[in-house]
Amino acid sequence: MDDFDKNRAALINRPLDSSIAIVLDRYSPVELGTQVTVRQFLAHVHAVAKLLPEQKFAINLCENRYLFMMSFCAVIVKAQTNLLPPNKKIATQEWLIKKYTDVYVLHDSHIKGVGLNTFIDTDQEQESPLAEHLSINVLDADFGIDNEISHIPRILLSHLAAISFTSGSTGESRPNEKSWRTVVESSQINAFNMLGEPQGLHYQLATVPPQHMWGLETSVLLPLFVEICVADIKPLFPQDIYDALDALPAPRMLVSSPIHLRSLVKSNIAGCSSNTSSINLILCATSPLSSELATNTESLFCAKLREVYGCSEIGSMAIRETSKSSAWRLFGGICFEQDKENKVFASTQYLPNKIEISDEIDMLDDNLFILKGRSSDMVDIAGKRGSLLEINQVLLKFSELVDGVVFVPESESNVRRLAALVVLPSHISVNEVKAYLKKHLDNAFVPRPIIKVDALPRQDSGKLPIARITELYRSLIKDK
Amino acid sequence: MAPQSPAEFKMAELLVESLNLEDIEAKDIDPDELLFGDGLGLDSIDALEIALAISQEYGVQVKAEDESTREAFATLKSLTQYIEANKG
Repeated sequence: MDDFDKNRAALINRPLDSSIAIVLDRYSPVELGTQVTVRQFLAHVHAVAKLLPEQKFAINLCENRYLFMMSFCAVIVKAQTNLLPPNKKIATQEWLIKKYTDVYVLHDSHIKGVGLNTFIDTDQEQESPLAEHLSINVLDADFGIDNEISHIPRILLSHLAAISFTSGSTGESRPNEKSWRTVVESSQINAFNMLGEPQGLHYQLATVPPQHMWGLETSVLLPLFVEICVADIKPLFPQDIYDALDALPAPRMLVSSPIHLRSLVKSNIAGCSSNTSSINLILCATSPLSSELATNTESLFCAKLREVYGCSEIGSMAIRETSKSSAWRLFGGICFEQDKENKVFASTQYLPNKIEISDEIDMLDDNLFILKGRSSDMVDIAGKRGSLLEINQVLLKFSELVDGVVFVPESESNVRRLAALVVLPSHISVNEVKAYLKKHLDNAFVPRPIIKVDALPRQDSGKLPIARITELYRSLIKDK
Repeated sequence: MAPQSPAEFKMAELLVESLNLEDIEAKDIDPDELLFGDGLGLDSIDALEIALAISQEYGVQVKAEDESTREAFATLKSLTQYIEANKG
């Protein structure tokens, strides 16, 4: 038996009869309202594993959180690797297939449940670039089977469980490799620092997608290791979030982002005063949360809110109670070091290398720091972070472009978007540039507006100061 | 483009204002043009913003769970009709 092999760790570190997921998606193949036990979950994992081809890499595009989690584990049990793209664009899939070659796609595309998203974000309606036998629908698995599950698979710690990609553009995304050891150890650190001491089973609702680091860490990986029963849906609108919370047993926790919390607070729906939607804990990440929004969210749900800070290479690293403190407390298990040039490097036991943090940080002591500024290249649009440099390079690759720039305009709006100024030959329209960018950029990063101009206000040296761009942009907007 | 009704124009103004559509004028939004995907090119972040503006302006809470919501979010015309039918 390999049970005592110290080179392996269990796929799930929970009793077989505890609840790991709850079905609230009415389009799920599992009956609505079911609390899936670890035993049933493992039976489903084995059923999906039987469907999988003998390729090394699986692009996991499942929308339903339970089906994602099940496929994620099936891929690992088959000793394969999950590829977690930042979006579902065909161009992204083509790039992954070219880079990793031995690839198939896992999806659950019959599920249109709470997927208003599936018609709003139309990425996946295009043809898959892969042959039919390499496009696996997990809904084809036999969910009725009653596999006798008596033990939990143990996974080699060195196995490459997943590779996440966080860039908003389709090309040159930096891969972040997660071995099973990284998954296990980072989840233990996350559980302890986000949740504190174990407090019994909590029911979790998450509004963020399972493929992205924040959603993956909290709504997919935590339930494998601590007493969390996660809802399989990803509600978008405030009323949907309230309805989902009402359908969950207490005690509840919510995993979200500032975008969703802001719409909850502003929606004028009665929160915990209605006595139904009380939550024990709210975890928020992806973009900076104001202390005002944190305070309003806490009073709306009569809950404690913890905000988490992370980077794409490591994941979650620090936490604060935003309504009470502006300083971040580093997770036990993560170290920050500042060099003479004030650059900050993060290290942890499960990563071989130190990671440079791109944000500007002021260390108060070994464990406390203030986030002074985000790196100027990194833009944050609706909770998604992308490199302005990379986004500009995508624009510059548009073959008919004479000159162009993508920038962050001054805006008083709540929804911040990028804007672009482009110089084009007379027969090329702005709509052609927009169509090209939509193919190659995450929707959130497609500039709006894209304005055609005669020339960019470059200096004689060729430099393009932001002040000049802003000035031109302002005059164009005024003229509209 | 079909002419906008007064209610459609009011909704178009709400969209332009809440989404900060700098390069589009409310009167130029075709009532039959698709709002998401290939038409006006809005996305889920916009949908959330529209839902918020609608809840504040008309007191209507949008739910993705309802099939009618998907149809409502198709065009300016369908969105306006949906709100007219659902507002208190």
